[in-house]
Amino acid sequence: MTNGTFKTLATGLSRLASGIAISANAVGTIVVLLLVLVVNFDVIARGVFNKPFLGAVEVVQFSMVLIVFLQLPDVIRVNRLTRSDGFLTVLGSRYPRTHNILRQAINAVSAVFMTLIAFAIWPEFTEMLETRDYFGIPGVFTAPWWPIKLVIFLSAVLCALVLVLKIALREDNFELVRMPEHEEEDRS
Amino acid sequence: EKITAVVIDGYPAKALWVQEITNFFIPEVDKRLAETGNYEMDWQESYGGAIVKPRGVLDGIKLGLGDIGVVTTIFHSSKLPSQAISAVTPFVAADSVAVARAVDEIAKEFPTMQKEFDAQNQVYLATGVVLDSYQLFSKNEIASLKDLEGAKVAGAGLNLRYLEGIPDAAGVRGGLTDFYNMVQTGMTDYAMLWPEAAQTFKMAEVAPYMLKADLGAVNTKTITVNKDYWDGLPDEVKGVLREVAVLYRDHVAGIAMERAGESLDAYVAAGGTIVELSPEDRVAWAEAMPNIAAEWAKELDDAGEPGTEMLNAYLGKLRDAGYAPVRDWAAEPTN
Amino acid sequence: MSPMEIGLASVAAIVVLVYIGVYIPVALGVVSFISIWLMRDNFDLAMNLLKIAVGDSVMEYTFATVPLFTFMGLIVSRAGLGGDIYEVMNSGFRKVKGGIGMATVGANAVFAAVTGSSIASASVFSKVSVPQMLSYDYNPRFAVGVVAGSSVLGMIIPPSAMLIIYSFVAEQSVGDMFQAGIVPGLMLAAAYVGWIWVMGRFAPDYIGGRPFEETEWLSWREIADKTLPITLLIVVVLGGIYTGWLSPVEAGASGSALGLIIAVARRRITLKGFWHALLETGHITAAILFLITAASIYSRMLGLAGVPNALGDYLETAQFSFFWVMFFYVVLMIFLGTLLDTSSIILIVVPLFLPLIEPMGLSLVWFGIVTVVGAEIGLLTPPLGISCFVIKATLNDERISLKDVFVGAFPFAVVMLIVLILLIRFPSLSLAILN
Ligand code: NA
Ligand code: NA
Repeated sequence: MTNGTFKTLATGLSRLASGIAISANAVGTIVVLLLVLVVNFDVIARGVFNKPFLGAVEVVQFSMVLIVFLQLPDVIRVNRLTRSDGFLTVLGSRYPRTHNILRQAINAVSAVFMTLIAFAIWPEFTEMLETRDYFGIPGVFTAPWWPIKLVIFLSAVLCALVLVLKIALREDNFELVRMPEHEEEDRS
Repeated sequence: EKITAVVIDGYPAKALWVQEITNFFIPEVDKRLAETGNYEMDWQESYGGAIVKPRGVLDGIKLGLGDIGVVTTIFHSSKLPSQAISAVTPFVAADSVAVARAVDEIAKEFPTMQKEFDAQNQVYLATGVVLDSYQLFSKNEIASLKDLEGAKVAGAGLNLRYLEGIPDAAGVRGGLTDFYNMVQTGMTDYAMLWPEAAQTFKMAEVAPYMLKADLGAVNTKTITVNKDYWDGLPDEVKGVLREVAVLYRDHVAGIAMERAGESLDAYVAAGGTIVELSPEDRVAWAEAMPNIAAEWAKELDDAGEPGTEMLNAYLGKLRDAGYAPVRDWAAEPTN
Repeated sequence: MSPMEIGLASVAAIVVLVYIGVYIPVALGVVSFISIWLMRDNFDLAMNLLKIAVGDSVMEYTFATVPLFTFMGLIVSRAGLGGDIYEVMNSGFRKVKGGIGMATVGANAVFAAVTGSSIASASVFSKVSVPQMLSYDYNPRFAVGVVAGSSVLGMIIPPSAMLIIYSFVAEQSVGDMFQAGIVPGLMLAAAYVGWIWVMGRFAPDYIGGRPFEETEWLSWREIADKTLPITLLIVVVLGGIYTGWLSPVEAGASGSALGLIIAVARRRITLKGFWHALLETGHITAAILFLITAASIYSRMLGLAGVPNALGDYLETAQFSFFWVMFFYVVLMIFLGTLLDTSSIILIVVPLFLPLIEPMGLSLVWFGIVTVVGAEIGLLTPPLGISCFVIKATLNDERISLKDVFVGAFPFAVVMLIVLILLIRFPSLSLAILN
């Protein structure tokens, strides 16, 4: 394969991965809203109508998994995963080459870590799918485990992919300061 | 020969049953092994979330993060369905020792409970019971079952289902640590918990009336051993662990009963009033409930397990021990 | 190497990796993974620990407070509640030397009660109060320093993401932690105001500024309009938690809904702004909870290595006094604070020190307050001080360099340290409201 086709392929894949990450992120965002609504529903149902929603705990737990793992790939994509980049910045201004190698190495290690997570979770998913395990209280409210394990698995795979593509495209537009997002566009 | 054993629980070392692992189970095992002198244990105890959280003990033992552990079974309704046997049979025995013994015998006479643990890669040793009976704690004076109608009752887990037959009563989910607040603020009218926990969380301050309904003791703890670890143990050690686990079962249940008695005294001393639920009301309540025991048995039957037989045998054991059920959960047809 | 040695070496490895810029959750996760693998010579065991930790930590019910309070903070910032309370405070402090600085501290303390993060506070107040201080000829370093210093209040006064994180690691009730944070937060605010007053009196050049031109006082109507919404929110959220009517999760949800209603009623939010607030909430939640997940792998690794038990035994034999334990603790936090963010510091040091603190009969709630305040000093110290970065970036003013912000924030970091020492010396400051 020539360098050119590789680049085209990587760029195409990257667009696809970004698209999926952004969509998953949007779904996760809707879950945030759902979380606000469900808890308020329970508070009002209990306080005003004497009819608490007995599944609130499980729904909240479920939403937390969805929010975190649906959004994690996008968090990595936009470089918002927690890191301390003071040293990298200093290094970047003096030794750009070393700096680049170090960045790619960090992304590679991170991709390996996400892959390990995917490998760890996959058997959990198949087991839960088979046994139909649930959490919650039978006869009161229960929720299945397998969708949770599946979301974690897919998220880890996507995170690994996003990191690998960052390496392939040497694309790591980091900034020293991570500002609250969207600040500027909203103020104007 | 020296054998290491990593003992885990997610609850802190000061919890009753964890304390007795340190003070009773471990020394007793050491003592018995010392008699022959063939083996010596090197115990590594890790409690209170150092390796696993309370809900994580089952997985922790399964995956080998610990060798021996105390699994809190009520967290795992779906993996350990048969463990709910005493929770689905309320109004039978408010006696930790009797219930612990009956559940443990059922576990050993029928294959189901051991099979469930086996599927989690662990070996069942014995059952623990740490609560003598759920009771109702109330802010306002309470006299009869009628007072529960239309009320909000804080509870946790399967006991919320005990409220299903009472007209307009609503269960509100909460943890032990929330009950004080829930009753104090009037978010709920009652909280369902056992006297020892009520004393720990100072319920007498906000709920000066206790309705002694004697809903019954419930098994919540099981000592298990990781299967791979177990397979590597010499027979002598296996034998000693099994023996001591049974002693531990009775020992802990005995302490639970003592504490329950003391807690009731303390509750009265702190200004609490204990109101006995009349026998007629107990019958009425039990009759009003859905037969959750039959539901439980049927579910196991459908899964190819001897659910109905276990239920019959369990109630038979308690009857032999002098505890006749208020409602014969096993007498009714399942469908 | 013994498990204990591997455990301690892994702590060092994590600190080094984090310093060179490895994503913090990755550093925690990978090092812990390798440590367990080496320690037990068992790859499957390491995979199993990963299996348990991932997902398990996220499933914690109380963690729903993280997105809920984050969302509430973002919505109320957009609704302009921070600017409103600042204007009211400013109207009150106008006659005092350094008054705008004091108003900034006061407004931050109030705004802190409706937001869970210091980043929100830093960005809101760099926009509203720094320009005003500059227009009144305040010393620029003081202007940015006071905003940086008081932004810290956002994570001490409840609700606070850091108090939530600590309550998870130390298994304390979120409600208790929130209540314990109130007095120390107000104390710190008072100490800042006191510092400004003292400097205004004895070193006026440090503050700078000229007296206010005669402007009209805010009318009662305006004051009510600007304070009622935030008061209502505080009453619902903190009042709900304090009385026990609402669990922290429910308080966060009610606060979010109420904040949204306020923002809509005042026509301060567009559909796009609303969506962005949700989006950012998700990003922050994912980043924090993934970090917590990795930290739980780390703390379990320490548990398997027996590090906490061994440290506890060591301390017992070495007979370190309370003073030296706390001294080491504070020094360690300040050292880590130079480069790490607050949540990482909490997640790394608390599992190490918890087993030392508990047997000494000390309150874990108090320890949590000490930890959060100590770890937040790092928000103000170079080279990585998040609050200072946010201020520099928000201002986007060439006349003020990042160095100016750090120099300006330094005295406030020292005031924090003094307050921290008081909090350590007098635990009742943190615990009084609970009893
Ligand atoms: Na706050
Ligand atoms: Na810093």
